Amino acid sequence: MITLKDINKTYPGAAPLHVLKDISLNIGRGELVSIMGASGSGKSTLLNILGILDGYDSGEYWLDGKLIKNLSENRAADLRNRMIGFVFQSFNLISYKDAADNVALPLFYQGVGRRKRRALAMEQLEKLGLADRAHHLPGELSGGQKQRVAIARSLITRPSIILADEPTGALDSRTSKEVMQIFRDLNSQQGMTIAIVTHDPGVGEQTNRIIRISDGRIV
Amino acid sequence: MTDLLREIFQTLKCNKLRTSLTGLAVAWGIFMLITLVGMTKGVINSFEKQTASQGSNTINVWPGVTSEPWHGYREGRDVELRTGDMEKLRQTDRQKISDVSSSVYGGGTISTAHEYTSSGYEGVYPSEQRRRGFKMAAGRFINDIDMNQKRKVMVLGEQMVPILFPDKTPAEVIGEKVDCQGLGWTVVGVYESRWSRSVYIPFSTARMLAGNSDKIGSIVVEMTGVETESQGTDLENDIRATLAAAHDFRPTDQSAVWTWNRFTQFLKMQSGMGILNTAMWIIGIFTLLSGIVGVSNIMFVSVRERTHEIGIRRAIGARPRSILTQVIMESVAITSLFGYIGILMGIGLTELLARIFDGSDFITDPRVDISLALEVTAVLIIAGALAGLFPAINALKVKPVEALRDE
Repeated sequence: MITLKDINKTYPGAAPLHVLKDISLNIGRGELVSIMGASGSGKSTLLNILGILDGYDSGEYWLDGKLIKNLSENRAADLRNRMIGFVFQSFNLISYKDAADNVALPLFYQGVGRRKRRALAMEQLEKLGLADRAHHLPGELSGGQKQRVAIARSLITRPSIILADEPTGALDSRTSKEVMQIFRDLNSQQGMTIAIVTHDPGVGEQTNRIIRISDGRIV
Repeated sequence: MTDLLREIFQTLKCNKLRTSLTGLAVAWGIFMLITLVGMTKGVINSFEKQTASQGSNTINVWPGVTSEPWHGYREGRDVELRTGDMEKLRQTDRQKISDVSSSVYGGGTISTAHEYTSSGYEGVYPSEQRRRGFKMAAGRFINDIDMNQKRKVMVLGEQMVPILFPDKTPAEVIGEKVDCQGLGWTVVGVYESRWSRSVYIPFSTARMLAGNSDKIGSIVVEMTGVETESQGTDLENDIRATLAAAHDFRPTDQSAVWTWNRFTQFLKMQSGMGILNTAMWIIGIFTLLSGIVGVSNIMFVSVRERTHEIGIRRAIGARPRSILTQVIMESVAITSLFGYIGILMGIGLTELLARIFDGSDFITDPRVDISLALEVTAVLIIAGALAGLFPAINALKVKPVEALRDE
């Protein structure tokens, strides 16, 4: 599903920072992996590249058979929209939209009609056991519920891969377990490819493979 | 499109107070624009109505006193206009002078069996009716036969009817007899006027009453085919030159005869009105501009505030263009929505003013027409788009990586 070949990334500046050094890795279809590393190890930069949020200097990044390189902003936006589902640490829901509208938002940018969007969003929320919370604003939901709404949003476009950035970072231990269980279920039951970036060993343990990154290299 | 509008109103509703305060400035700007333009239009309408009724193609000439020695005469000599001058003026420029006439005033009471008035009378040419723009309430004005036969006929103003004939309508007054200067007169017409009390008799009859003196108090020259201010001034100078030759004064002696050129006056007034109109538009547009700048400002704040949100939208697949469109449309939505409130208030006020000033001579029909509303709508949409443009460009600088940044 994901193949990185000799990816290099340097942040330019007075003292250029070589954050990723010849990164090569493979994530197969249906894998549940975690990317672990200390802060400053380059794992956030790696996530940005995997998520097509940022570019890289050299190497090749293949996502679901497509070479992701030197894309225009529009093309990158479309690929993010259709191929990648993001789950963030701080949920990143839009505060003035109710849960269903938040879930439906990626479809808005695909030009899907409102009625159909809402229906698909309801379906997705139902699967995650949040049907009764569909009309609540994010401020009226608990942390675990918010993250489940965010997961629903990441799934609604049927992406090739889900990228989760510290998905349990803002949750307590009990809800963390719930959220991890959702990821495991998505992986085992629907064969969803999932990559979780974390520094929490407890989260890493629950994935099938741990990719460790340190000082810009995979170890 | 409806989706986009829904999205926009959702965001505007998040900051109701801020949105309405910002919008208030726009509404006020439009309100001022409509009101100023409407009032100006009212003033211009009055001006045009007045010039249309009084004629703007005449030069009035009055005798004066010489201020310079000339041809052996000393300064300080009275100039006296005579009936012979009128024929000379007719000959001055047959192309441009279409009519020369005069009027004489006479005092005295005008009386019926029971009532009287001491208004005096004015001896005029038939062309006076056209120059004054009189409409007849009943009967006719002085005509050429009256002039030739020196008839003792009289034309009254509407205002005189209730004074001289307390219980008669203008139509019933026609053919009635009145006394003036010891002679019996027949009323042949009543003209419409809300304020004029002048009583008109034929010029020739009036001269006869004055002992057939050929001295006249003033001459009115009507011109035709004069289109520019310089043509008007040239004709005025020609008239002066003719009179100067006839009365032996220096043609450049401004005080020997006094002239009032209504045409050049009219052109000056007209350009004055044009300037007034432009000035009002400029003031209105600038007032509106301060409102627009407010919108632009608030859009900057809004974009800054929503940096994280824009980042999220970008991360989940919003193209830069849809962010741009959303910010600009938001700005257009604020300006047009509140702009329309301003338009409605402005139209309401001009409507009210139209009622208050109904019948006044200073402001006539200040109502704005539909074309102005359309122009203002175009201005609003363009202004709204411009106000949103720069904040939107700012919003484009937000990278999708923003979504990952913790607040």
